[in-house]
Amino acid sequence: MITVIGGGPAGMRAALTAANSGARVLLLESGPRLGGQYWRHLPEEGAEAWTGQTALQSDYLAGFLLRNQVLSNPKIESVCDAQIWSTTKNDASITVNFLHDGISHSFETQILILATGAFDRTLPFPGWDIPGVMTPGGAQALLKGSNVHAGKKIVVAGTGPFLLPVASGLAKAGADIVGLYEAQRLRKWISYSGVAILNLRKIAQGANYLRQLRQGRGFAVISAHAGEDGLLKYVRVAKIDTHFRIKKGSETNIQCDAAAIGWGFTPNLSIVASLGLQQIPGQDGFPVVAVDELQRTSDPRIFAAGEITGVGGAELSLSEGMIAGQSAADFLGKVSRSATLSKNKSISRRRSRQRKFANTLMRIYSVQDGWRTWLGDDTNICRCEEVSLQTLKASIHELGVTNIRSAKLLTRVGMGACQGRICSRSAVEIIAAEQKLKATVEEHISAGNRPIFSPITLGQLAQQPIAYDAL
Amino acid sequence: MKNPDAIVIGAGVVGAACALELAQAGLQVIVLDRGAIASGTTGAGEGNILVSDKEVGPELVLALRSRDKWFEISEALGGSFELEAKGGMVVAKTSSGLAELDKLVGRQRVSGVIAQNLDGRDLHDLEPYLAPEFESGTLYPQDAQCQPMMATAQMLKEARSLGARIEVGAQVIAIGSDSQGVASVSTEKETFHSRVVINATGTWAGEIAVLAGSHLPISPRRGFILVTHPAPNIVRHKVYDADYVANVASGAADLQSSAVVESTRSGTILVGASRERVEFDSTLNVNILRVLATQAIALFPVLAKVQLLRAYHGFRPYAPDHLPVIGEDAHVKGLWHSAGHEGAGIGLAPASAEIIVAQILGKNPFMDASAFSPQRFAVAR
Repeated sequence: MITVIGGGPAGMRAALTAANSGARVLLLESGPRLGGQYWRHLPEEGAEAWTGQTALQSDYLAGFLLRNQVLSNPKIESVCDAQIWSTTKNDASITVNFLHDGISHSFETQILILATGAFDRTLPFPGWDIPGVMTPGGAQALLKGSNVHAGKKIVVAGTGPFLLPVASGLAKAGADIVGLYEAQRLRKWISYSGVAILNLRKIAQGANYLRQLRQGRGFAVISAHAGEDGLLKYVRVAKIDTHFRIKKGSETNIQCDAAAIGWGFTPNLSIVASLGLQQIPGQDGFPVVAVDELQRTSDPRIFAAGEITGVGGAELSLSEGMIAGQSAADFLGKVSRSATLSKNKSISRRRSRQRKFANTLMRIYSVQDGWRTWLGDDTNICRCEEVSLQTLKASIHELGVTNIRSAKLLTRVGMGACQGRICSRSAVEIIAAEQKLKATVEEHISAGNRPIFSPITLGQLAQQPIAYDAL
Repeated sequence: MKNPDAIVIGAGVVGAACALELAQAGLQVIVLDRGAIASGTTGAGEGNILVSDKEVGPELVLALRSRDKWFEISEALGGSFELEAKGGMVVAKTSSGLAELDKLVGRQRVSGVIAQNLDGRDLHDLEPYLAPEFESGTLYPQDAQCQPMMATAQMLKEARSLGARIEVGAQVIAIGSDSQGVASVSTEKETFHSRVVINATGTWAGEIAVLAGSHLPISPRRGFILVTHPAPNIVRHKVYDADYVANVASGAADLQSSAVVESTRSGTILVGASRERVEFDSTLNVNILRVLATQAIALFPVLAKVQLLRAYHGFRPYAPDHLPVIGEDAHVKGLWHSAGHEGAGIGLAPASAEIIVAQILGKNPFMDASAFSPQRFAVAR
């Protein structure tokens, strides 16, 4: 039995590949249906429902077909709404503890494939905690809920190729996109085209982005402001230089009801960390799980695919998922490493081409240090615990805080309901910068150490878990 | 400051208390820590300042003095860290548990512990959410709680303002000595010379003793703590089952657990305190979390509906006889230990510092501290 955690592109592809190689698979997904964040809006069933939405995403059809194949495969048991709250391992097996229908389950597996994806990266800025300011992923999630956006004025901003599909999706749902601001100037795009040409589909999309973003390149939302009702009234937009520093005098206010602001993605490494798997610096310096050419982690029984190995988008995730699924099935069937490798030759080549392209995109859309100059001393860095920049600075300069752990203990930054998922990446960077240091990967790893992943009541925890009886 | 009067190794609560006491006595002090401040056992502590869980004897004398010193320090530092005499409450279901508790309370009272017997009605007036089957208990109004990391940081800040130097990220790699005893402490970057070195490295104190050419039998005793989402006003004191005292005193390696439940100022509820000797095993043990949750719900059934926010563990510095190690090393002159406080390090830190600084200065400490002396671990050479 192989257990796959995460039902997005990588997880579904891994599950299907492993099943097609003869393995039995348990696929656990935290959301209400398969698809992950990327294919979040795949309808429950029936082609008639989704044909109208293809404009949202060009590869909806692929997601729809993949999901149907997974759901109809007799060797795959998929469990949605499976809230994994902890994982442990010993030499004999890996234990996955999850809640399903309010019941505590535990499942022991010999082979695990992790495909836990990524979440939106946020940067703190003045007013980012005002209701109405959200991430692009958050805005996209709201899309599903009928016509809530009709007539609403929305600003989409940040950086990355994800902004445009979000903006066009919101526009389709009836929202009035009053501004689309990409922080990068994107001139670099041209010089990277030698790499980009290797992936025709992406470059076609890229050209689209360029056309539509010309007006808004090199701009950022630097603050958000609430009206008397406490809700978002307008955002302040400024032209920024290549280091993300504000160009004085370029600021303007844009009236809006909502702002979807995202700065790329942060891999979701909670399970990786709790299983003690090796993490290494990714392209942007943030940790990723280390994998070999078989997508195998530092524990030979555990494989990883998709964004947790380095953010790279759905197509790369599918390739990695395919290799991870094959490798895991071969590991189960005691197929030799070299046999697996040679089986995967062409897909491996595709994977490295896609990885190269993903890394190029990540360089082009990289977040520059200047974002810290947008902050005021009273800007909350941690929204859950309301820890301001000033508090964080004082803890460093007056109380001797030197790292994220001591900052947590002395200021409560990252100690609230989200357990630092939203703020700790930024907090790590601020703590390092205040000491004139660069944030280290070890610090980010330390900040991501969170042995309880999702909410569980003490009552559920106290229950003797039911051994999950798969298939 | 290459030649300080004293070098304190360890920037946890015990080291910070020593540094402050030394600086206040006018000594030039350097504090070295391989990690960040309060990043070892202090950072994993609940902030217990307890007299209720101590059997009569030298540790109780130390605890009573230390408890008062905490309030003196807090006042001197302008209330810059959370400190609250919230009171401990020991509760019992059965008459046999109660009988044992009554005997302990009787002995404690003679030593100066304030303890108030509670019948079923008092108990449920004071803790309305306590399970109805608890019929009696004892309230210890002296029991207190602090925010241990902030207390440590503020003591170090005060010490610094009195001239102390704090070096974090400075791992001690060598301790030199000559015929007169300890002479120097080296980190990777620097060497400091001093005739006074205080080992305040808690659970890791044995490693420092070895570096100095001595030994100290301190080993880790792991504990897990559950932290819930904020749930204000459910738990008002530090509440624990009468079985807890027996567990603290046990030396067994396998798991002992009896829930200690309390709330913090931010509204979260903390549930401790498991005890097991598993070396420095950092892996999550879900069974222990389950036991803690079960026991917490047995005390406060309403907690079943409260959500767990996080769980973490720490390693208590455990000496074979459960007593802290305070005093000069049995073999190396000038090497002083204040370590091995097990789960009581936060509570006992200030008075331990008072003893050790008095001894360093050749004065008589406030109590006969011979029971804490490292001499008890001397080996024939």
